[in-house]
Amino acid sequence: MKRKTRTLIQDSVASTVAIFLGVILVFPLIYCVCGAFKTPHEFLTPTLLPGSFSYLGNFEEALEKGNLLRYTANSFIIALVGTTVRLIFSILAAYAFAYYDFRFKNLCFFLILGTMMIPADVLLATNYLTVSKLRLLNSYLGVMIVSFVSAAQMFMLRQRFKSVPKDMREAAQIDGYGDISYMINVLLPISKPVLTTLFVQSFITLWNAYLWPLIVTASSPHMRTIMVGITKLNSWEDENYQLVLAGVCISLIPSLVLFILMRRNMKKGGIDGALVG
Amino acid sequence: MKRFLVVLLTVFFALTAIFAAAEKEVAPVEQVELGSQPVTITFWHSASDDAGLLVDEYIKEFNATNEYQITVDAIYQGQYSDATTLMKTIISAENYRELPDIMQLDATGKLDYYNSGKAFTIDDAVKYFNDDIVGEYLGGALGNWQFGGVQLGLPFATSTSITYFNKDILKAAGWDKGPDTFDDIIKLSKDMKAKGISVATYGAVPNTPTLANWLGQLGSYVVNNSNGADATATKLACIDNGALKTFLTKWKQMYDAGALKNESLSTNQFVAGEVAVFTASSSNVNSLLSKVGGKFEIGASSFLRVNSSASHGATVSGSCLVLFDSEDALKKAATWEFIKFMTGAKIQADFAAGTGYTPGHKGAVEDENYQNFIAATPQFSVAPEQLAKTPASMRSVTVGPTVDFYYAIQNEVTDMLNNGATVDATVASMQESLQGLLDNYLRTNP
Repeated sequence: MKRKTRTLIQDSVASTVAIFLGVILVFPLIYCVCGAFKTPHEFLTPTLLPGSFSYLGNFEEALEKGNLLRYTANSFIIALVGTTVRLIFSILAAYAFAYYDFRFKNLCFFLILGTMMIPADVLLATNYLTVSKLRLLNSYLGVMIVSFVSAAQMFMLRQRFKSVPKDMREAAQIDGYGDISYMINVLLPISKPVLTTLFVQSFITLWNAYLWPLIVTASSPHMRTIMVGITKLNSWEDENYQLVLAGVCISLIPSLVLFILMRRNMKKGGIDGALVG
Repeated sequence: MKRFLVVLLTVFFALTAIFAAAEKEVAPVEQVELGSQPVTITFWHSASDDAGLLVDEYIKEFNATNEYQITVDAIYQGQYSDATTLMKTIISAENYRELPDIMQLDATGKLDYYNSGKAFTIDDAVKYFNDDIVGEYLGGALGNWQFGGVQLGLPFATSTSITYFNKDILKAAGWDKGPDTFDDIIKLSKDMKAKGISVATYGAVPNTPTLANWLGQLGSYVVNNSNGADATATKLACIDNGALKTFLTKWKQMYDAGALKNESLSTNQFVAGEVAVFTASSSNVNSLLSKVGGKFEIGASSFLRVNSSASHGATVSGSCLVLFDSEDALKKAATWEFIKFMTGAKIQADFAAGTGYTPGHKGAVEDENYQNFIAATPQFSVAPEQLAKTPASMRSVTVGPTVDFYYAIQNEVTDMLNNGATVDATVASMQESLQGLLDNYLRTNP
């Protein structure tokens, strides 16, 4: 078999497998969108596609019953501020671990990494106690504060920073850059793909948070997040999955927009070399 | 130096005594009469969708019409399990001021409430207010909200499991009434196949409440201490008496005969006509009727029985309202008024008609509007009739490891059918896994 033919077959097989896997990954999303446009009667039929994509009754009902507009705004505040602060703290910590030498550096580093092994559920009561003692219950800050520090993000950024040659920092210092100006003007621009990926991942995680915001805002229902609103759309007495799917579609919009806006940077990944510029 | 220390200690004790006395003075137990000043109480609920809208309406009505200047601040706290998690978190953090005055609770939160240290049970309230209203409620509905002989809450959303069937399919198979026993399901399946009807006959996977129903019909509890209602359950109570084996044998027979789809079916699947017989909560009546519309006729009958010698009936489920001790006399009095309103005849009759739940208040059952409603929609009458027939000894299961227990039962039965295990092997396996869960819970919660 000619090499060209063999390559063509290999490419075709690889493409087919990739398309197949892609369809599997995207199918829940397609099902969700299609289901959200179905009438209650259509939802009981086994067909995937709705009669038409013009039926907006589920969206209207979801917005009203679940108070989703208000909750979307809350989720946006919590996800945006939480992600931004988390990223700032992670950058500063990662910089210290990547460039500074201090006593017990390794011990501190491994202690921080060790926190990644503690399941979030185990921390629920202790975090609640801390937030309660800080008198931050029923506040946005109370919801966000536990997400301000992330060992995983710190670790990933530290690895990225360590891959940048130290000569670069020394050269910047010769040019009169301090640590902060080197970080802002040199290190962060070349780490944009990692920062973007971490931002999107963190935003989606905080956007999807359910139990913690529910618990912290026990006495302030107006501070609830969109995920709490979605649970209001279904009940023990009546399964309204088409409403839930409409709610999920609404909740997906910010994440999708963010992903579309940042996908180029994310795709670059680690392709960019540290010595760019 | 010694003299200085003696003086210091004397001053310290003197100050302590003064502050202690002062504290007693500034916190007198003040009995304020209800209605003399405005009072706001907090109500946590898990009523969502249409039930949530009804609850909101009742709160509005109470706030607008009560004569005691009571304002109820109702907060939706997610599903029952979420609300219970929230309650447990607050209790473990000892942040009691975040607890509500009144809360809607399902069976999964019963033990946590009882052990919270802040429970103001109905028995406590009856004594405190010298107002014995317990006799106004149906015994079956009350029984589900007792633990250790204490009435924890009052029934709010009372339901039970009943059998729904697609009358059109059954008619086509030559049946003019619904199936009553597992043997009927096997017979119906044969008749359906003979008429070329390919729809599944019956679909369900046993879980904690349904197993409690079927074993209860056989006169057995799932766990000891009356299914954990009298005291903490410590061991299985269905092995030595052979009840579990009897049930599993019949369940397997249905499966082997091709009459059973061992899957947790949704109401939507029944509405879509994918199955002929379906067991579910009586609270689904309203939504089933509205979803099916005129597509086919829905029949409803008592919960399926394991065999013809088993008793009729099923345990009560749903939710109740429980009170917390706010240590504030005015709030307690306001909460007592509110719980009487929410569980009273008028609201219970209206809530039953709007959702499909069964009224827990005797007055609601006799309510004229409710009677007319039942007469017009006979499917709604099955649950109250069944409740009347259900033996008082039939109790829902209260165990510590609620969630794990539920899934362990489902997994064990599914494994038996899928892997072809024998009934005896499954009984042994269930004894090991379920008893293991109980032991583990008791070890960690002595």
